[in-house]
Amino acid sequence: MNLIPWRNKREGGESEPAADHPLARLRSEMDQLFERFWREPSALGMADFWPRMSALGPRVNMAESDQDITVTAELPGVDPKDVDISISGDVLTIRGEKKQEKEDRKRDYHCVERSYGRFQRSIRLPGSADPDKVDATFRNGVLTLTLQKRPDARPRRIAVKSE
Amino acid sequence: MSTNVTVKKPEGEVARVERTRDRQTYMPNVDIIETPDAFVVLADVPGVSADGVDIRFEQGVLTLHGRVEPRQDEQHTCYLLREYGVGDYLRSFQIGEGIDSEKIEATLKDGVMELRLPKSEAFRPRKIAVKAS
Repeated sequence: MNLIPWRNKREGGESEPAADHPLARLRSEMDQLFERFWREPSALGMADFWPRMSALGPRVNMAESDQDITVTAELPGVDPKDVDISISGDVLTIRGEKKQEKEDRKRDYHCVERSYGRFQRSIRLPGSADPDKVDATFRNGVLTLTLQKRPDARPRRIAVKSE
Repeated sequence: MSTNVTVKKPEGEVARVERTRDRQTYMPNVDIIETPDAFVVLADVPGVSADGVDIRFEQGVLTLHGRVEPRQDEQHTCYLLREYGVGDYLRSFQIGEGIDSEKIEATLKDGVMELRLPKSEAFRPRKIAVKAS
């Protein structure tokens, strides 16, 4: 998705200026900035428009391997019992509620950046995922869903015979 | 399922060493709450396990560092959707006087770190009883 061509420093054969040179550092920072901008809008200031958890729902990553599709969502502070996952057709829905801490005795908030409340997120799954073979785990605030691929969607190796 | 995390005290002068790991570092979102006898810091650090937590208090600065192990081989993963980046968490807080630094406690549960900074005796609110004469 890179719209701006940038050269991976490790690949380039050209001689690099000394890594501790201020210009080299500036360049590496700019490279990182562009890389992060295109790869993950979340990393930059855009996170302000999309807090980690908000009405838009938790942020989700989806990765594909030969065997399965992995969906991960960051749900810090959510009790696994309050998370509801459903698949209808090819749409995966993660729904839940992050409850406010139980103590409601007098408290003064100095800083509030985390958000609470209900959230919901629906994602279309690729056709290769088998909705019947799903495995969900919740560990350290990260929800991981592993969907196996349909057998016919897995890549097959074709052996080449030499004659 | 909460785990107690020990607060490491710096030994002498701690050199600021730049981390060499090629990872992103994120600033966790926090809530800071004051109760009559303590300050409570709640930080969202999804993906951090108890042994990946490093909390330091030195020269009035409380530093919270959470290490996140990569969830998958980033180099060889084909992402269909990538809305968040996986990386370490780092945030520092300037702590004013009146915190009993010996008694700072930290717990980790479901990706949320709770730091409890008790106020020292002298700074706690006291009720002064009025004697009727």
